Amino acid sequence: MKKLLAQIKAYPYTKYILLGLVLATIPSLVYFDVLKSSYVTLVGVVMIYTIVSLGLNLLLGWSGLISLGTAGFMGLAAYISAYMTINLKMPFEVTLIVSILIPVAISVLVGLISLRIEGLYLAIATLAVSEIFRKTFAEFEFITNGFSGKSVRYPTFFGFFKLDTTMTYLLLVVFMVVIMILIHNLINSHVGRALNAMRGSEAAAQAMGINLLKYRLLAFALATALTSTAGILYAHFIKYVEPSKWNLGLSLNILAVIIIGGVRSIIGTFVGSLVVFAVPDLVLKQIPYFGKIPNFAYIINGVLIIVVILYYPAGLIKVFNDGKDAVVKLFKKSRGKTV
Amino acid sequence: MSHVQPLEKGIILSIENLSISFGGIKAVDNLSFQIKEKEIFGLIGPNGAGKTTAFNCITQFYKPNHGSIRFLSKKDVTVELNEHAVHEIIGLGLVRTFQNVELIRELSILDNVLVGAHIDYKTGLFGAMVKTRKAKKEEESLRCEAMKILQFLGIADKAMWPVGGQPYGILKKVELARTLMCSPRLIILDEPAAGLNDVETLGLADVIRTIRNEYNCAVLLVEHDMRLVMDVCDTICAINFGKFLAKGSPKEIKLNKDVQVAYLGTQEDQV
Repeated sequence: MKKLLAQIKAYPYTKYILLGLVLATIPSLVYFDVLKSSYVTLVGVVMIYTIVSLGLNLLLGWSGLISLGTAGFMGLAAYISAYMTINLKMPFEVTLIVSILIPVAISVLVGLISLRIEGLYLAIATLAVSEIFRKTFAEFEFITNGFSGKSVRYPTFFGFFKLDTTMTYLLLVVFMVVIMILIHNLINSHVGRALNAMRGSEAAAQAMGINLLKYRLLAFALATALTSTAGILYAHFIKYVEPSKWNLGLSLNILAVIIIGGVRSIIGTFVGSLVVFAVPDLVLKQIPYFGKIPNFAYIINGVLIIVVILYYPAGLIKVFNDGKDAVVKLFKKSRGKTV
Repeated sequence: MSHVQPLEKGIILSIENLSISFGGIKAVDNLSFQIKEKEIFGLIGPNGAGKTTAFNCITQFYKPNHGSIRFLSKKDVTVELNEHAVHEIIGLGLVRTFQNVELIRELSILDNVLVGAHIDYKTGLFGAMVKTRKAKKEEESLRCEAMKILQFLGIADKAMWPVGGQPYGILKKVELARTLMCSPRLIILDEPAAGLNDVETLGLADVIRTIRNEYNCAVLLVEHDMRLVMDVCDTICAINFGKFLAKGSPKEIKLNKDVQVAYLGTQEDQV
């Protein structure tokens, strides 16, 4: 039994699967009236933003590149997928592939132009592209339904297998856990080391045979693929897409997720997403007087970013790890005394 | 690559009339030298003589204005390095270290060494993400190889430690280990003894010789520490103000008048 436990502990994916299992119980807790039904939507959204933020973490944390167009690309994928499933009546599987491929193709084009030069050019280019997208969402009414927004339905698999709220929620859990495992593998492979090398020392990376443009493009395309996946899931989980959502504020919130949660940490990204996207609704709005201040969450996020950068540059995930270590130490100490 | 004139037998690198200038300053001016196979070749000169610039031209970090750099690649084909991009150089069998150690602080020592094996990986993006059996095997075997090199350099016990915060002597060794991963034909060392103490420098001379013998490669080094250069090099080339000054065995260089003047100045200068 002990051996089995040790084996499970040594298995590299344990924490991701465990997180998935815990999150998967939420719908049943709602069913037994332990939690309010709004929790399913809230946690679902947190998982969607975890996927986006993992993409940005891959780009900023591991590869050292900054994008400010996350929201635009997410919105693009959301609209394409909505148009395909509702207007064109395409199956969800096909929609998923096409709605990822189109934003990725656009991101490669943007990257080819802006990634030749190092530094902040990607941030500027993506910001501009994202703003173009946002205007497009509002103006191209025959596709996007303009400011009145577009209604979407839960995904249908194989043309007949319709998902309900709980099933869609569970789909999100599966997507998030699988993506976490894929990224875990990626960053521990030679590709991950190449991305790290690119951030750590461009000269060394080049001398070791790493083609900078190729790996910058790869990181950006992968980040966009994850962003698009999240956009598609968002459209089909919230069942509504509106143009004003995909603004710079959202991009910056996603940036806040990885800084607060943990740069270069997969679980930390989830923690950050929880803090940025769930805490405002769960905690801040319940506080008397302060909760009524509009955009109070933004103020808290700003303060959090400063505190984290000053005291926990590795992100809030470090607080959890330190806490865990302290508890383990205490436990060992007390046991040592009794023996 | 038939248009490149093949190198003579026994020569691994041949530099002819290499020139590069920044603004009006000629950093390297009409420099020519040749390196034989399995030779330890030293490039010396006073500060600002253009040694590192010459290195950067050979490894294509700078594109020279004039001159040719011919190299006998791993496949025994003579190639013109000027026709290759900077990231293609290592694949030809030419690898370098840096004057100010260039490592990735957040990665472990072992992972840093494995960065040197980047070109040996055949696994694609998909294989890396789903961790196929082939990818696992490849990673395993290269990890073994990296451990062997770390053992050879005597730092295997620190393999899992992060690079950030390690002493300079260790960092220099990690960089050396990284160059050995690609089974190179020629290793270029940019001031390997800088920042090392006397004991470490003595050890370094042995390490350089052992690398030459064990890995069957030539070594080109730039160095300020004259004891190391005189001790370890087979041939030395001295340059000053980017120009060729003298070439010969350590003994010949020591006795060469021009070299003495370049390093110590003339009688009139001292008065």
